[in-house]
Amino acid sequence: MIRMQNVKIVLMIGWRNVFRNKRRSLIVASSIVVGLVVMMFSMAIMNGFNRQMLENTINTSLGHVAIHKKGFFNDMKLSLSFVPKDLCNAIKNIQGVACIGQRVKFEAMVQSSRSSQGVLVMGIQPEEEKCVSNIFEYAGSDIHSYITDSSNNDILISRSLATKLDIGIGDKCVVMLQDKDGVLAAHAFIVKGLYQSPIESFDKYVVYTGIRKAQEISGLGNAISEIIVRCTDKDFADSVASTINSLDTADLEVLTWKQMAPNIVQAIKLFDTMMYVFLAIIFISIIFTIANTMIMAIMERYREIGIMKSIGTQPSWIAAIVILEACGLGVLGIVAGIVITYLLVAITATTGINFAFYSESMRVWGTGTTIYPFLTATNSIVATVIVLLNTIVASLYPAYKAAKIKPIDALHFI
Amino acid sequence: MEIIQVVNCTKDYHSDGQIVHALRGVHLSLHKGEFAAIAGPSGSGKTTLLNCIGGLDYPTQGNVYIEGTDISKLSPKELSRLRLFKIGFIFQAYNLIPVLTALENVEYILLLQGMGDSYREKKAAEVLELVGLKDEMHRLPHELSGGQQQRVAIARAIVSSPAIVLADEPTANVDQKTGSALLDLMEHLNKEKQITFLFSTHDPMVMKRAHRLITITDGTIVKDVKQKKSR
Repeated sequence: MIRMQNVKIVLMIGWRNVFRNKRRSLIVASSIVVGLVVMMFSMAIMNGFNRQMLENTINTSLGHVAIHKKGFFNDMKLSLSFVPKDLCNAIKNIQGVACIGQRVKFEAMVQSSRSSQGVLVMGIQPEEEKCVSNIFEYAGSDIHSYITDSSNNDILISRSLATKLDIGIGDKCVVMLQDKDGVLAAHAFIVKGLYQSPIESFDKYVVYTGIRKAQEISGLGNAISEIIVRCTDKDFADSVASTINSLDTADLEVLTWKQMAPNIVQAIKLFDTMMYVFLAIIFISIIFTIANTMIMAIMERYREIGIMKSIGTQPSWIAAIVILEACGLGVLGIVAGIVITYLLVAITATTGINFAFYSESMRVWGTGTTIYPFLTATNSIVATVIVLLNTIVASLYPAYKAAKIKPIDALHFI
Repeated sequence: MEIIQVVNCTKDYHSDGQIVHALRGVHLSLHKGEFAAIAGPSGSGKTTLLNCIGGLDYPTQGNVYIEGTDISKLSPKELSRLRLFKIGFIFQAYNLIPVLTALENVEYILLLQGMGDSYREKKAAEVLELVGLKDEMHRLPHELSGGQQQRVAIARAIVSSPAIVLADEPTANVDQKTGSALLDLMEHLNKEKQITFLFSTHDPMVMKRAHRLITITDGTIVKDVKQKKSR
């Protein structure tokens, strides 16, 4: 039976052994600190990367929940439109809903005198859209370069598309489309503003106009393509979607951001997996550092361990002392590592880390060029447990070697 | 009563492919309360004999009895228990646990024996006072002189009142004056507490002070004489 006083003495010897060879302990603790800081700071950057990728995707176009006619999400045909009737008011009253916006969406061709480009036209309610997406901010938060009257022939295009079409604010362009009845039509628009979102592919493909104008040129009348719902928190999306489904939405499909952006969810899972593989490599090297140092410590104390055994110390005590010494080093490393990491994260969470030199890649992922790292409590717990387990694993072999030392061999050891 | 009995004990080692006969059919008996020394030149087998008696090593042939128990047939775990409860060790190089204070080093044995907190501390302090280290009991080994460390080692060896104390060259690392004081102490403990002391030594002072001198050469006891008690 393990007696409390035995635990106390084993703890005491193990802990005091940590401070016997300060330089060696410092080296081991430093390697743990470096490993932990790299691990946790990488987690923090990856958290920021994932959050920004997700938030930007949601804020640029997806919203938290979208309601379409069944089949519209996979095939944006004008025929798959619907008249919302009282649905919008019912949705606004659902708990957890912050705001909603209606959109008309169709594919078209934008043409200038120089070039043309296939695009997705989004007919938006200008004021409501400010709440459900960030397009107003992406257009410079300037009312003069944003759509104000949803019936006008104003169009908002991205900077990159403007460059491609070689047009600017105040210039004309033509939008060609097949309306609801399949009739090919061309309509002139004036560029009211230019926007730049964090997502490169979005900018190349999406243009905005007022919802009334979009309904008029597409022949939809008062029908719309989708209702976008913004929740007070993205985690409410499932419950809000479930409540909407319980309304009269028989021929509609209600999709959450997770369902609309499975590629983002998968990418986050993939990045997390890659991160853990990367961390495993770091920690395998730390395991060897700790094990190597502990073996050195045991060789240095070979005779001392032999003496302890010769006076009656059980091998299990010797093993426990070695493991606890390693744990002591681990605890010191963890405390220092967590303090340093939180300081780093606190600083960079305010200033952000500028990855402008990777700006093209970052725009592909839609994260923006500045990443704001953050840590969760789970990150800290996982990191602490991993490091402690690593330390224990690293000390098992040295502990076994120490427990196996024969007193008679140790007494002959000089 | 015979507290130690060595019967036809041999110990062979393999060294560089050759067999070294460290002990060759040794017979030895010690009674309770003896103060004896095994003397002989380096490599004569005195430490090997002490290790076999102390259960640190197994004889190749023959038997070693401690208080009637044949320890050459015990498992390593049983030997460990025997060493803990029956035998006190004093080593040449003090060999205290460096991270424990003098008091904690002495307490350690009682802790291994499962004694309670208050008894342990009281008993250890008492024994340290007996060896003259009342004021140094909270010091770490490196804060003590060689002689003081050896006194702590003696205190550790006797704290649990073992049947036998085995001392391997206990005065080898201290000056003559300190060595003499240590011998005074051990002789006093032998007399007062009837603890059996068996030394291995080649220190003439220890040989002179031992009540019984066993001389060993080439693994064989060549002389075993009782001596006058020095004081």
